Amino acid sequence: MSEKEQPKPAAAPPPGPPPKPQPKNPGFVTATVDGREVVVKPGTNMIEAAKTVGSEIPYYCYHPRLTIAANCRMCLVEVSNAPKLQPACQTPLSEGLVVKTATARVKEQQRAVMEFLLLNHPVDCSICDQAGECKLQDYYMRYDHKPSRLEGSKILKSKRKVLGPQVVLDQERCILCTRCVRFMQEVAKEPQLGLFGRGSNERIDTFPGAALDSNYSGNTVDICPVGALLNRDFRFRARAWFLSSAPSVCTGCSRNCSTFVDFYGQDVYRYRPRENEAINKSWMCDHGRLTYKELNRDRALQPLAGRGPDARDVAKAEAAKVAATKLSALAGTPGLAVAISPNCTNENIMAAMSFAKDVLKVPHVHVSGRPTGAADHLLLTADRNANRKGLEWIAAGFGLQVKPFDELSRGIDGGAVKALWAVGGDVPEDLGAFTQIASRLELFVLQAQNESRLGAVADVLLPASSHVEDEGSVANQDGIVQRLRQAFPPKGESQPHWKWVSDLHAALGITTTWASAREVWRALSNRVPELASFEWDTKAPPAREARGLKPIPAAADGRPPGYREYGAPRVRGI
Amino acid sequence: MAEPVDAAPQAGESELEAHLETKRMIVNLGPSHPAMHGTVRMRVELEGETIVRADPEIGFLHRGFQKSCENVTWTQCLPYTDRLNYVSALMNNFGFLNAVEKLIGLEIPERAKFIRVIGSELHRMADHLTCVGAVALELGGFSAFLYAIEARELLVDRVTELTGARLTTTFGRVGGLNRDLPDGWVDKVLKSLDKIALLRDEVDALLTKNRIFVDRMKGTGVIAAEDALDYGFTGPCLRACGVNYDVRKAHPYWIYPALDFDVPLGRNGDNFDRYIVRIEELKQCDRMVRQALSLLPPGPVILDDWRIVLPPKPEVYGTIEGVMAHFKLIMEGIQVPAGEVYDCTEAANGELGWYLVSDGGGRPYKVHVRSPGFAILAGVPRMIEGRMLADLIPTFDTINMIGGEVEQ
Repeated sequence: MSEKEQPKPAAAPPPGPPPKPQPKNPGFVTATVDGREVVVKPGTNMIEAAKTVGSEIPYYCYHPRLTIAANCRMCLVEVSNAPKLQPACQTPLSEGLVVKTATARVKEQQRAVMEFLLLNHPVDCSICDQAGECKLQDYYMRYDHKPSRLEGSKILKSKRKVLGPQVVLDQERCILCTRCVRFMQEVAKEPQLGLFGRGSNERIDTFPGAALDSNYSGNTVDICPVGALLNRDFRFRARAWFLSSAPSVCTGCSRNCSTFVDFYGQDVYRYRPRENEAINKSWMCDHGRLTYKELNRDRALQPLAGRGPDARDVAKAEAAKVAATKLSALAGTPGLAVAISPNCTNENIMAAMSFAKDVLKVPHVHVSGRPTGAADHLLLTADRNANRKGLEWIAAGFGLQVKPFDELSRGIDGGAVKALWAVGGDVPEDLGAFTQIASRLELFVLQAQNESRLGAVADVLLPASSHVEDEGSVANQDGIVQRLRQAFPPKGESQPHWKWVSDLHAALGITTTWASAREVWRALSNRVPELASFEWDTKAPPAREARGLKPIPAAADGRPPGYREYGAPRVRGI
Repeated sequence: MAEPVDAAPQAGESELEAHLETKRMIVNLGPSHPAMHGTVRMRVELEGETIVRADPEIGFLHRGFQKSCENVTWTQCLPYTDRLNYVSALMNNFGFLNAVEKLIGLEIPERAKFIRVIGSELHRMADHLTCVGAVALELGGFSAFLYAIEARELLVDRVTELTGARLTTTFGRVGGLNRDLPDGWVDKVLKSLDKIALLRDEVDALLTKNRIFVDRMKGTGVIAAEDALDYGFTGPCLRACGVNYDVRKAHPYWIYPALDFDVPLGRNGDNFDRYIVRIEELKQCDRMVRQALSLLPPGPVILDDWRIVLPPKPEVYGTIEGVMAHFKLIMEGIQVPAGEVYDCTEAANGELGWYLVSDGGGRPYKVHVRSPGFAILAGVPRMIEGRMLADLIPTFDTINMIGGEVEQ
């Protein structure tokens, strides 16, 4: 065995990285997620790619409309080109990559992350507004479902830190995903929130001396995946699983942000923004968010005939009879004026204008509505009326001239206008001053949603239902028409404007075919070219969208306990 | 008999001998008649005393059980199942739970299986005792009824100690049982079984060789084995026809394979055989309960998986994990995987089948019950048409129709 050892050949240089594979689908990235092939645009992250093939990757900090933070570590998945688990939110899909979202390693990682997140989380579900729509609860049941191993006590932080007029923060519940910080910085462009401290003392807070007073602060509550940021207006007022949701539109300004109306019985508890790429993305402003209060308080619920102290409750038919007789007696006279609010839905405006044009024979209508405010940099517009565009379209379609409101008040003041039929109780001027002026009217028929001083000087007050109490459509300032769905039936004796108009017709012996807002649309929308192409039925969002936790229903369709189709619901306290 | 000679005609005799015009008569039996267990209406067409047509009409006790289940969580269905066969609620509870567990793919702890068998067999005894006692009562044998009910009361007391309720037990949870046996319960059961055996033999002695009883039971309410199978009979009513079908033997579940018991069979498919099969089954139940009690293993009675089973209360009140699991299980229910399942157990009256469909949520998408009594009630006209009206009562007794189960 004297074989000499051969000198080793010089070590070959290590092989370079493998050549990049040719894309299977040019212009797209083709990869495999959980054994299924996905074809996506380059740059798409794994969470979105996995969604397209039905694999759900859990996440807290990721939000499709915000930058990537990758700090929650919930979305770690196994990929074929890295030894360690990779965050799916941050990693774009590359050609030929094999992603596995449900292996034992991934599951153990998810369980471990959940355990860490819950380690210092307070035992708050029973008093937390987020309970029922909380990602911690959802993911705990899906990815952890193990008992606590914490020995000792939890870290205590500030439990109720008021950040601003809308938002209160419970720092103990916070999981530090920084969605709120990123939202304020990137979307609202008002960086009012920051991350302070380190380690176990790390917390979200406002900068010293500053407050979270942006008009968009409410969105931080919506995107908070846990119950840390809470809306001060909604806090402790309702449990999420008792609320039903109807897709609707915010009528706070002419932006018409898509919303969900969350209601219980016949009371609205909050608006939440509804995804709409064309208008509001995922957001809405605090101003609009609070306009729901008009739907609950000071509602006109009973038809009244007679002015001031002579006012008496009357039946709907009698009120309509009195109003119709008095108005039609003045039909065609120059002293009769019509004011229509641009807050009404298209259906209500069309019905009102058809009565104004064909029965009252007025040549023009005055536009009432809320006073103009200040626009801001994102969503809120100066015009605080939802449907001015629709009103203008319809007036043009019906051949009616649109006149500003101050002409009307001047006309009444000067004595030229002696009778007024107002559809909608908002006035763009000082309410007290206009009430003074309106008290000089010989005949004042008012259809209003809310009680106000103006109602006290009306000869006939016809209570109108709100936009969430009927089907309908509105057009925003850019001419985008949206459908809104009925959440609950009209409160009290109120009814939609179109129904009052229908009753006015009926009181005069004129038959209309309108039995619903849909039929008003079908009968009248062909007179308005801009509305003729809108597909009223197919554009309607599903009437009730189930979201978050599905409550144990009181009725099979998810209506709240006590809901009755006809008559007043039996509303229990919450 | 010889003609009486020289008998002076009695007053009114001519009327007796006159040709009585008979026409068919329709009589309602029930719905509110003590012999029509529950509230079933039997529309009987009579030719004299012969039943020409019998038409059972159900629906007076309909509660929308199956539809109601779609509106509540899987766990909340359980109290509804109590009201099916309310004489033996435990078997409905356990049957439903077994089907849900099959749909999820759960294997429950061994001790829970034993207790489920013990509970089932106790309630089977209660059911059979009620049936046998009612037969005797409605044929005029009040004492036998009292003995049977005395025995049943013992069982009801033991079930009350176990579940906390006399009738609507709502016992067991998906994944096992909500509580273990109470202290000293096993001894009490054994003592009760001794007493029940005495009472059962008393009933047996009073009835089985009683001339009146036998005359009214034998050869009445007969159904052939093929007809019984065609109608979908199961349980004692089918076994009385001589068909050896018992779910506990045919598709064994829980710990039945480990138990030594016989399936008593009849021969004629008449009322008497249905009665005697039940008397014999009482003896078999006694055997099974004693065996199960002696083999009862220690251990947990429910799984430890917080996706299925509520966490212990200290965990719920003290840890966020526990309160979350509790909240989700109560508010959303157990997330049963999407799919469908048919599962059956041997209830007192036969095969209690469950067809469950889940859409993956916390509430059933569909719950269908194959109640044994429904098929058997449908066979009553077949058993009774052409027979005497008086045979209807024992027939209706021995099929042991339970309104809550048939009409759901």
